[in-house]
Amino acid sequence: MNAPMPMPANPTPVVRAVGITRYFGGVRALENVSLDLMPGQIVALVGDNGAGKTTLVKILSGIYQPDEGSIWLGDTEVRHLDPRRAREFGIETVYQQLFLCDNLGAAANVMLGREPVRRRLGPFRFMDNKRALREAREHVAGLGVDLDDLITPVRRLSGGQRQAIAIARATLGAHRLIQFDEPTAALGIRQTRATLALVERVAAQGIAVIVISHNLDDVFAVAHRIVALRLGCISLDTLASQTTREQVVACMTGMAFGKDHS
Amino acid sequence: MKNSPGALLSRMLGGGRNLGLFTTLLLALLLISLFSPQYLSIDNAMVVALQVSFIGLASLGTAFLIVSGNVDLSIGSQYAMCAVSAALLAKQLPVSLAWLAGIALGAALGLINGLMVWRISISPIIVTLGTLTIFRGIALRITNGFGVRGVPKSFSWLGEATFLGVPTPICALVILGIVAHLVLQYTTQGRHLFAFGGNRQAAEAAGINGKGLVLTSFALNGALVGLSAVLAASRFGTAAPTFGVGFELDVIAAVILGGVAFTGGEGSIIGVMLAVILLGVINSGLISTGIDPHYAQVVKGAALVIAVALDQLTQEQQERHRKKLAVLERAGS
Repeated sequence: MNAPMPMPANPTPVVRAVGITRYFGGVRALENVSLDLMPGQIVALVGDNGAGKTTLVKILSGIYQPDEGSIWLGDTEVRHLDPRRAREFGIETVYQQLFLCDNLGAAANVMLGREPVRRRLGPFRFMDNKRALREAREHVAGLGVDLDDLITPVRRLSGGQRQAIAIARATLGAHRLIQFDEPTAALGIRQTRATLALVERVAAQGIAVIVISHNLDDVFAVAHRIVALRLGCISLDTLASQTTREQVVACMTGMAFGKDHS
Repeated sequence: MKNSPGALLSRMLGGGRNLGLFTTLLLALLLISLFSPQYLSIDNAMVVALQVSFIGLASLGTAFLIVSGNVDLSIGSQYAMCAVSAALLAKQLPVSLAWLAGIALGAALGLINGLMVWRISISPIIVTLGTLTIFRGIALRITNGFGVRGVPKSFSWLGEATFLGVPTPICALVILGIVAHLVLQYTTQGRHLFAFGGNRQAAEAAGINGKGLVLTSFALNGALVGLSAVLAASRFGTAAPTFGVGFELDVIAAVILGGVAFTGGEGSIIGVMLAVILLGVINSGLISTGIDPHYAQVVKGAALVIAVALDQLTQEQQERHRKKLAVLERAGS
């Protein structure tokens, strides 16, 4: 059932989270979470609502700072990871809310924050809109996404198209790690299949992948490795081939299954 | 259709909304000239341009701010502080330093607002409503509430100088207006202002430096207000702490009439400039036709409300049209 895990030529992790703890006010969202992300490996991040999945993803993309612990990008320990630094390193994320600018077109959204520059004049960087449009179009076409009009504000597009734009933006810059937060939650059957196929294609290029999903069918369909979070702690971290649905569910919910996780 | 003069003009102006403003402006000029034929003259155009240039300069900065989802209500008080400070300093320092100090003070006041808006996550309307009162209070305090006396004559040079017969405030507006248009429309900085105004979280997740954007746009806005105030004080030969009362309302009205969405993320400098000119023409036109100038207030306010209402109605109509197309498409397939 699982896609074969490609053996990485270089087994060093691309990104490492070491002993991450994060509080929101008095609430502990993550406690002492460590995770090594390997090139080409698809990690499914599962857990109940409030287990800390999205928090972990947002820490790895630089939106949240951990209260304790550190993030390693390759061999470098990064004290203060911000979204720009994360993107420069090649970490991209498709957030559950998509984070699109509704007032901008698809091309502008795909190229946001990395607009090609035609000319610099003092502090001003003049955009090369033609190149931006061409690059966005090529990339979107390469994903097999059906989207002709890249200029109309994306607020006028359908949910599936908006999702495609968010994915296109993330895959364009992700050469180290790409994270998908609930990528298929809003999609129909056909689009879900296409998205999962895309996740596998991205991983096949040697990019580390994190997928948050509540759908265990999706998880077992694509994941090489399954990490379960429960109440902010890792309750399971195993290769997908060495676990079962029952064990995953048990670790997500804390219901006894063999081992006691409570 | 694609190459009709109307379409060409619409493209040049950057959208149908601006075409509407342009047409309204032409209509207004036509109406006024019917009642008052002497209105259409180079000399009068210069007078009107001079009148609007002070609001025009400030509206450039306010357009940037509102596009990025912020606003600064304290610009009228900044205007007063910059004007009286420049006039007071001109009594002690070389006048050129006094002019520069007025502009720098504007930038500093804007930056203070920006820092507070960034740090205190409550509406910029509330923060700058507070500084509106504070800055006005300071302007009144440092002048004891009176106009500044004994300003050297040379202070007036900057505002009264002309370049090729055009007064400096108009030159400043034209040059800075073009720069603002280019920056907003064609640079990554401009794009990021739109992105930030459209969806702040999305912009920051994409690595855009929100703090830099907010602080810079507030400081730039303040500098433009300072420039406007220094030019006005200089032309006037002095300044009073009551300068610029209600200035922010005129500026924001022009910016919104110019098609900048108050919620951020939409707008163009061309639209704002057309609106600034239109409001100036309404003002001076009503006076020159002999209508009670108090009506100018009514007409300007009505123009703003009608424009915003038209925007809303057009949007709703487009929405209905798209819906109809989608339904037809489904039925066809």
